[in-house]
Parts: sequence; structure tokens; C-alpha cells
Amino acid sequence: MRDVYVVGAAQSDFGAFPDESYRSLFKTAFDGAVDAVDGEFERDRIDEAYVGTLGVGGRQLGLSGPAVTEHVGLDGTSCTRVENACAASGVALRQAVLAVRAGVADVALAGGVEVMTDMSGEQTRYWLGVSGETEWERMAGTTFSGVYAQMASAHMAEFGTTREQLSHVAVKNHGNGAKNPHAHLRFECSLEDAVAGPSVADPLNLYDCCPTSDGASAVIVASREAAEDLTDRPVRITGTGQASGRVGLFQRPTLTGIPATEQAARQAYDEADCGPEDIEFAEVHDCFSIAELLAYEDLGFCEKGEAGAYVERRATFPDGERPVNLSGGLKSKGHPIGATGTGQVVEVFKQLRGEAGDRQVDGLSRGLTHNVGGSGGSVVVHVYEGGWA
Amino acid sequence: MGAYLSVPTWWQRLDSRYRLVLGRCTECGAHTFPADGPCVECAAVDAFEEVEPEGTGEIVAHTVIENGAPPEFAGLLDAEGAIGAVLVELDEGARVPAMLTDCDPHEHGRGDRVEAVVRRIYEGEGVVRYGAKFRPL
Ligand SMILES: [Zn+2]
Repeated sequence: MRDVYVVGAAQSDFGAFPDESYRSLFKTAFDGAVDAVDGEFERDRIDEAYVGTLGVGGRQLGLSGPAVTEHVGLDGTSCTRVENACAASGVALRQAVLAVRAGVADVALAGGVEVMTDMSGEQTRYWLGVSGETEWERMAGTTFSGVYAQMASAHMAEFGTTREQLSHVAVKNHGNGAKNPHAHLRFECSLEDAVAGPSVADPLNLYDCCPTSDGASAVIVASREAAEDLTDRPVRITGTGQASGRVGLFQRPTLTGIPATEQAARQAYDEADCGPEDIEFAEVHDCFSIAELLAYEDLGFCEKGEAGAYVERRATFPDGERPVNLSGGLKSKGHPIGATGTGQVVEVFKQLRGEAGDRQVDGLSRGLTHNVGGSGGSVVVHVYEGGWA
Repeated sequence: MGAYLSVPTWWQRLDSRYRLVLGRCTECGAHTFPADGPCVECAAVDAFEEVEPEGTGEIVAHTVIENGAPPEFAGLLDAEGAIGAVLVELDEGARVPAMLTDCDPHEHGRGDRVEAVVRRIYEGEGVVRYGAKFRPL
């Protein structure tokens, strides 16, 4: 199997940008990824492109992939839109990796884009619910935050996870995001603030929930041979894994974990010939605080039921044993649905190359990204190492 | 603008909407709600016989939605205040997503016993849709 390297990765700012379009945001991310390539890079070297987007607002539901690649001058290049809800661009990256491994492409583009903040409240609430199981779960009045709140209620009852432990996730991620110039919510918050936020879906409050954001991200991957031309500081993708789960929480075997995360992680670890103990840092899918705690357990960073205590003892803070969401995560950096997965890759790329500015943690050599669609209907995990194989 | 469920789609499974009709797996005996798709326990397909449950069970997951309800439930939120959205594990074993009714949702949670009753769910395309909600026992 051919080795695959990330040779360029970048994101637009995440936030609310009434003067931007989905195309202009994508162009910012794409141009940034091209600029991040060390060597000379002509865009016509891209053999395949995969673009993740849910299409929130319906602004270009059909052909939303080609509509952004044409805008950056890739007219003629094969482009496929990927829709796996919030995991769209994580899955787009996996498709790009598979294309390079298969020898179909020497250089491939994966990216994502979403515009979410320019709609009426009614439109927004409609679109936020479209990735839940529609026929039964949504018809039971369950919002997106509501499904995760149900998981939180079960986790708290089963394992004694506390209100404060959920809030530690918000405190950590806001602390990290405040140092990220691309983040949507660049402010720190205290534990007192995070505990006392107004209720959204009990037991989750405002500080447990990520914002809706506009933004785009883009990643350029290459075979070993192509990468040798393009970079002196390679980031190798050593493992990829993807799994699906029942779309509705009520039909899953557990309410306190996401089985698709366990399955996707196992594949990625097997390919990377490592285990969770070897992962030094990670960007995980913290759409809600409880989601980050579930990720710790399902990825094997701690034992089942121990995630609350794990964050409380600061294991995943920047000075802890395994920093998680150094970018600020979805919570602080923002969650423009289609852009989130490849947005996570941008942080790993920068950390492994020592380019993360004020957020840099020195000495990192192996990282992981974890991207979840809906409440666990799709999960994709990648493992990365700095340097040539 | 609400979640799009056409009237024919809603009518396809009125037995499960009104009476929570389940699928009992002929392979492993587990119950799945609704009686459609694979068995939640063993993933057998096309292996259900339909069973009408007692309609009683226990709340296993719970949330109270104070705001941000999808548009189809905005009116309900305005009229009745917070919505209790729960997963109920029926006594037969299947889990059902549903709303609480006839109670203050803040007063009830995991472990509470509930029973199903038919209530108005929402109105879509000019047709009022009815289905099961749960009230505390
Ligand atoms: Zn079965």
C-alpha cells in the first residue's frame, strides 16, 4: 500500500461572515493550503478532489463540490461532494487517502465548507436537526443537542459524571481557542461561568454546546514520490478508519458511548500499528462537552466511565499527558459542519510541524483526528506521524 | 418549515405510532422498535413478527428542551413550556424515543416508570399527526 502524506493544510477563519460566500471561504482555505506547500505547487497537479458539506441552507445542494472547485480554478478536475453530516470532510480526507493509496491519484485535495449564520432562526433550527434520525427521533421532539443531552443524562447516571466535569471540557477548549487566531469564540471562560450557563437541553447548557459557524478548510495529500517534491517537513497519514452506526440513538446497543468510534479507531490503530497509549495528542469531535468525554473512552484514552475524572485531573489540557483539542475544538474554534473534519487536520499538521504559534506543544510526534457525523451514525478516525516513513 | 415527513410516510406505520407495535426477532427473541429494519440485538433482517407491547416502561435517558426546538415543535414549546424528550425502555425491552406529557418534565427522569398515551404530535402539510407520548405512572 502506498504511503500518503499531508503536504499542505489550511483553514479560513471560522465565525460569522456576512460578507463572504461558501465559495469565497473555500477559496481562502484552498489558497492557504497551497501556500502551506513548501515546494512549487501547480494546482493542475491535483488529480482528485473531495469536498465535504451538508449544504446547510440549501444554497447549492446539488453539485456543491464542483461549485467550489471551479471557483478555485480546478475546472476539469474530478470532484466529488461528500455528505456524512458533521463527518463530511473527515470522510472526504479518507477518500483522498484511498485514492492516493489506490494509485488513482498522486495528489488529491480534501476539504469542506459550510455557511450557517446567515439564516433566520427558524431555518437554522430546521437545518440543525436534519442529521438526527428523522422519522422517529426527531418526531419525538429531540433536537441535536437533545440527543447528546440524553447521552449525558445516561453517562451521569451510570458513571457518576458530574456537571463540573462536563464544564472542564468547555474551560479547556476555550482556553485553547483563545490562542487560535482562526477561532470563532476567542474568549476564555471560568469554571463558574461554564457551570452556570443557561440551559439548552438539560443537562447541557450553553457552554456545553459548540456554536454554528461559517468556514472552510482544505488539505492536500500526496504519494511519497509526489510528496518528496513538495515538502521537507512531511506529515504522514499512518492510519485511517471509518465506521457507521445506527443513525438513531434509540436503536444503538449503548447510550453511553459511540460504537462507530470504537470501530473506526480500531481500524486506524491497526493500520498505524499503534494503540491509544501511543497517541500523544488529538483533535476530537466535541460538538458538545459530553461528546469529548465519550471520545476519550471510545478512543481508548481512558477506561469506560472514567472520562469525567480524566479531564478533571487535566490529562487533556495543554500541559497534561495527552493534550486534546489544542485548536479550541468545535467548542471554541467553531463548527461549520462540512469544514470541521479537515479543519481538525489543519491543527495536527501545524502541531507536528511546530507551526502552531502560541498553542504549540513541543515534541509531538504522533496525533489523531476523530470526526463524528450526527450523534454517531458515521465516524472517521485518522492517525498521523511527523517525518518520512 | 418542518422536518419533511409526507402524510403517506406517516401513515405507513400508524400501528407503531399509536400502539408502539414492535418487532420480535424470530432469531434471538429481542424486541425492536419499530418493526422495521434489522434486529437491534442480532442484526437479523426480515425476521420480525409484530407484537403489541403493554405500553409501559422506564425512562433510560432524559432531556428537557427549553428552547431551540425544531420549527415543527415551536408552537408546542410556546404553548406548554419546556419539552421532555426521553428514551423509554419498554418492559418488553425495546427503546422508544418520545415526549413526556401530562407532567412537568423537570420533575421526572431516568428510572421513572411511564405509560404510553396517544396525543397530538404536530401538524404537517395541514394534517394533524397523532402518536404516542409517555406520562408518568
Ligand atoms: Zn435478533
